[in-house]
Amino acid sequence: MNHQPFESWLLDDKSMDPKQKLELDAHLRTCNYCTALAETGMALRSAKRISPAAGFSARFQKRLALQRAAERRRRLWGAVLFTFGSLAMLVWILSPYLASFLAAPATRITSLVGWGVFLVTTLQALLRAGTVMLDVIPGFLSPFAWMVLVSAFAGISLLWSVSIWRFTRVPRGV
Amino acid sequence: MTDELAWVLQAQQGNDEAFAQLVEKYQTHVYNLCYRMLGEPEAAEDAAQETFLRAYQNLHRYDQSRSFATWLLSIGAHYCIDRLRRRKLSMFSMDEENDDGTTFEIADASSPDPEAESVKREDRDHLHILLKGLDETDRAAIIMRYWHDYSEMEIAESLNLTVSAVKSRLHRARRALAGMWQEEKPLTRTEKRRAYESPAF
Repeated sequence: MNHQPFESWLLDDKSMDPKQKLELDAHLRTCNYCTALAETGMALRSAKRISPAAGFSARFQKRLALQRAAERRRRLWGAVLFTFGSLAMLVWILSPYLASFLAAPATRITSLVGWGVFLVTTLQALLRAGTVMLDVIPGFLSPFAWMVLVSAFAGISLLWSVSIWRFTRVPRGV
Repeated sequence: MTDELAWVLQAQQGNDEAFAQLVEKYQTHVYNLCYRMLGEPEAAEDAAQETFLRAYQNLHRYDQSRSFATWLLSIGAHYCIDRLRRRKLSMFSMDEENDDGTTFEIADASSPDPEAESVKREDRDHLHILLKGLDETDRAAIIMRYWHDYSEMEIAESLNLTVSAVKSRLHRARRALAGMWQEEKPLTRTEKRRAYESPAF
């Protein structure tokens, strides 16, 4: 059976003129499918809203309070676990060094002091070398060459900053 | 500025009293959607509470250019769709769960035509059962269209669909409902109705 245009009228909840209503009525008397479509449409349009049981808002406030308490507990436990976990990991990582340090503390302290002295003397030597270079190098290059070098360095720095800004920018409204 | 927007703004700044006003105003909308989606009062109550909780936790994401009701119902609809999908996955039969849980409307004794009222009520109850046979998203679209008078555009916005997809889902759902209605509806009632006049208009 051909259901058109009646099916479209029913599905689109189209308003009909009297002639169309008569045509539809005649079709509905012979078509079970369109009758079912019309009846479900009518049942849907007459559907009532169901309200929740009284005190919904109060029950929500109670649930919100419970949720917040659970959230606080979760955060507290999270912080405790993180602290103890970090401490345990630190002890685990440092345990070989701690063991050897505790086994022979004098040897370890001596080597630490020696390493510190080496660091200080190396830095002093590097500083002295740098001072000498600064005294000597300017003489090798003309002021114009220095200007070009400094400008090139500034340009590269600017390009680097702009590219970082461009790629890390957060789109608006997100 | 409307009361609603003022409440939303205050709630966004942490005013619980303002959010309570929003709960008071929209509880029936949200509960009704959840009830029609899930089919049982206990699940609907839980889903409605969860919807408000999610709205509360995500208030900072609410875009004020949208309607608050649409945003809220969108949260509710997605939550119910997810819940129904989980329910399907866990292989529980909705009909079995619902055998004891469904509440039906009581006949209004003061109605001018109790018989017609009773037939209408019976149809609504029947329809409520048939809704469960629809795909979750189709069901949400039908509920928003007929229980909340949402336009196709609003449904599309709520369910993250295109307007044409909404239209096609609504048609598909209506055809499916009519098919189920035809199969399951007692013959006597159809015949009784036909004896009076066209059921449509």
